[in-house]
Amino acid sequence: MGSVAPKPAVELPVASRWRTPAGRLSRSAALLLGAALVLLAMVWGAASGAYAIAPGQLPGIAWDGLRSFFGGAVDSGPEHLVFLNIRLPRLLMGVAAGAGLGLAGALMQGLFRNPLADPGLIGVSSGAALAAGITIVLGGLYLPWLPRHLGSWALVAMAFGGGLAVTAVVYVLGQVQGTTRIGLMLLAGIAINALAGAGLGFLSFVSTDEQLRNLQMWLLGSLGASRWSAVALVSAAVAVSAAAALALARPLNAIALGEAQANLLGVAVEKTKRRAVMVAALAVGAVTATTGIIGFIGLVAPHWVRLIAGPDHRVVLPGSALLGAALVVSADAVARTIVKPAELPLGVLTAFIGVPLFLAMLRQFRSKV
Amino acid sequence: MSAHHRLSSLECRNLGVGVAKGPRLATVDVRIQAGRFTAILGPNGAGKSTLMSMLVGERAPQSGQVLLDGLELSAHAVEGLARRRSVMPQDCSVAFDFTAQEVVELGRYPHRHQPGAGEAQIPAQAMALTGVDHLAQRSINTLSGGERARTHLARALAQIWQPPADGAARWLLLDEPTAALDLAHQHHAMRLLRQWAGQQGAGVVAVIHDLNLALRYADDVLVLGGDAGVHHGAVQDVLQPALVRQVWGMQCDPVRSSDGALQYIFVADTALPA
Amino acid sequence: MSTPDISRRQGLHWLGAAVAGTALPALAQTAAAAPGAKRLVSLSGALTEVVYLLNAQSLLVGTDTTSLFPEAAQKTAKVGYVRQLSAEGLLSLKPDAVIATSEAGPPVVLDQIRQAGVRVSLVAARHNWAEVQEKVKVVGRETGRSSEADKLLAQLDAQWSSVQAQVAKAQRKPRVLFVLSHSGSPQVAGKGTAANALIQYAGCVNVIDQFDGYKPLTAEAMASAAPEVIINTTQGIEALGGEAAFWKRPELALTPAYAKKALVTLEASHLLGFGPRLPSAVQALHMRALQWVA
Repeated sequence: MGSVAPKPAVELPVASRWRTPAGRLSRSAALLLGAALVLLAMVWGAASGAYAIAPGQLPGIAWDGLRSFFGGAVDSGPEHLVFLNIRLPRLLMGVAAGAGLGLAGALMQGLFRNPLADPGLIGVSSGAALAAGITIVLGGLYLPWLPRHLGSWALVAMAFGGGLAVTAVVYVLGQVQGTTRIGLMLLAGIAINALAGAGLGFLSFVSTDEQLRNLQMWLLGSLGASRWSAVALVSAAVAVSAAAALALARPLNAIALGEAQANLLGVAVEKTKRRAVMVAALAVGAVTATTGIIGFIGLVAPHWVRLIAGPDHRVVLPGSALLGAALVVSADAVARTIVKPAELPLGVLTAFIGVPLFLAMLRQFRSKV
Repeated sequence: MSAHHRLSSLECRNLGVGVAKGPRLATVDVRIQAGRFTAILGPNGAGKSTLMSMLVGERAPQSGQVLLDGLELSAHAVEGLARRRSVMPQDCSVAFDFTAQEVVELGRYPHRHQPGAGEAQIPAQAMALTGVDHLAQRSINTLSGGERARTHLARALAQIWQPPADGAARWLLLDEPTAALDLAHQHHAMRLLRQWAGQQGAGVVAVIHDLNLALRYADDVLVLGGDAGVHHGAVQDVLQPALVRQVWGMQCDPVRSSDGALQYIFVADTALPA
Repeated sequence: MSTPDISRRQGLHWLGAAVAGTALPALAQTAAAAPGAKRLVSLSGALTEVVYLLNAQSLLVGTDTTSLFPEAAQKTAKVGYVRQLSAEGLLSLKPDAVIATSEAGPPVVLDQIRQAGVRVSLVAARHNWAEVQEKVKVVGRETGRSSEADKLLAQLDAQWSSVQAQVAKAQRKPRVLFVLSHSGSPQVAGKGTAANALIQYAGCVNVIDQFDGYKPLTAEAMASAAPEVIINTTQGIEALGGEAAFWKRPELALTPAYAKKALVTLEASHLLGFGPRLPSAVQALHMRALQWVA
């Protein structure tokens, strides 16, 4: 009912369970693949590390750990300690961090309607970095109450707060008469990022040698500070972000037609934009506060998902989270074994791996970009 | 057609057409009926697109109001409006490589909570109607201008494919839908719009450049004539050669085509109006 | 002490707040437990030197990147940069004890290896002789060679007193500047740096007393500071391509030191390590600086 010319119902080419008619991976296939990659990465990550643990021991240790979590006896042999206290939380932190970064990257690309967008555009990473710099360099002199009240969480709390605060500034600068102008926000983000960079430069200048090195190391990014409490916090933040992002998938699809058209389709465009910024800031803020700057995941993961499974945000959002998790866990496995017993900063590795892969991808799909 | 349709109207009440803080291009005070195909015509710069953006609610009126079914546009709930009114823009750039079918499926977004009967078939049927069903799996950014336009037309049709439950009239507003289309597709599209107005009872309003298309397919015209003023009414009554001379500065000879439709042949005029 | 020194100490304490807090009970514990470690990781060049001096190098299973003296230390397993340690990496060497300065980090990693049962002893960096003394004591305790350490300490104390006496006798105090070679403006040592402490001990005057830490200095500022002698590390001079290349730097041309090419260089860990070679470093600096201004 409703068609003007009486035509028989048109049959679409049959979509198999695994492929769409357009030759892309179907949503369920793509997400299954993503989950499989995460699992593979986690198994690889669990089995690699500077401390020698025979892979055969791992299931036993994991089982012991699970039992002790529920109140059973704790076996404190060295392998148990290393795996349960050092390697496992770091693995889970990698999953949470990668998921948060991938998800935020996909959200930003949908929001800015541009495949080159990156969570850093809204200033959350540079805000966290600036706050970390202030804490490291000026904290001793001007903020002595910080460690008194927050102890070893002082740096994380400041970095998180800084990320959110700078994002709020960028967001507000992008407001015109109650609407968010994406173009304006982009420019504001560029300016604020430059300002944060200058602030960091100044802090580097006034810092002592020791503070400078600490700041540099923080900026390079690492999963080294992954204790269980930190893992729990970051996982909670990323889980909340993921739940909130679910509802944004279809509105973001409509926004791909342009904000005016999305509005005419009944999408609450302003609310969607605000939510996307908040969710991305929460995820990236929590991750960056704990791990420092890990780049490229938010840019690359959504790209690859779109290449295999198409641009529908209902697959790009969860897919980017899964792929991001797999990428970070894999990169970290390399970072902590390639120069053992030392370790490479993770942010350096993601750039070294991410850039060539990104360029290869660009070459192969020149026409589509 | 229920009584509702005959009463449903898009009214411009003393509508001042012009950009904010810009010159007043026209003052429009008309009532556009559902169930009729109304073409908006006028020379360049007369304010056709500006008027269309006000009819759609994208732009605030310079003065006056736009009322749909007696209620100001801004007072209508956005989601409810989207279920019974669709808009085809002049051009629409799509971010990312959505397929034509995915784009048309986006037209069903307002109905995601209340899917219609045969919901899954609607995008395919709409694409068949505008002749882009064979392009369903192609990325929309790889299509030609005409194919893209027909995809967006299919999307606009899909959005209002079925009458709403309360029987209210549907509205379809199009800004230069034939601009990118070739000859055959232009006529096909115009025929489609006329049928939607007549048989579906939808209110169809389209900005068109081609007077002959309006003459052949439209029921009513709204002419923004600049200095010559605003004229509204049945197409044969309003679009007289005298008005054409006044508004477009062209002399035209009325002729009948072999199928009996009134068309104008334009004569190049040596003296242009001041 | 002046305010900036306090702020620096406060900064160090802030950074190591959690670490120091948990280190104290560990230290108290080890004071009671007599036997030394069987496997030791040293995260400081100075501490490594003491280990070799106490002939305990057989216990050493890993060192950090600054542990380069004596040469044998360069062959031990390197655990990476002392401020960015890897918990698993350290534990893979299966140490009983880790000795370090308060530079070691991140604090979470130190906590993790403590939880794995490793003793962590940290020496606060104060840039004074007490720091060197504490380093000797800590190594003695952790290697179970406390009596040898006491003997070494007595020797070093004697060396230190004689050097101090020598310095005190000097008739004048050369005006010196410590330069950390850099591509743009050279970085120089202000107050609160290891270099500054060394300069004071060597009976010289640091021409820079207006700022803390290492900062770049413009040519004009260097001219008005007017150092008579320039101090650098041998590695720094090598990196520039030799002494001749060093003196070609335009900002040095306006200094009194330039006339005589008055340069004192020492190997970096010798000069700034604040380890058992500190007395010899002070003496060398003192004598060579005096020679240039004589």
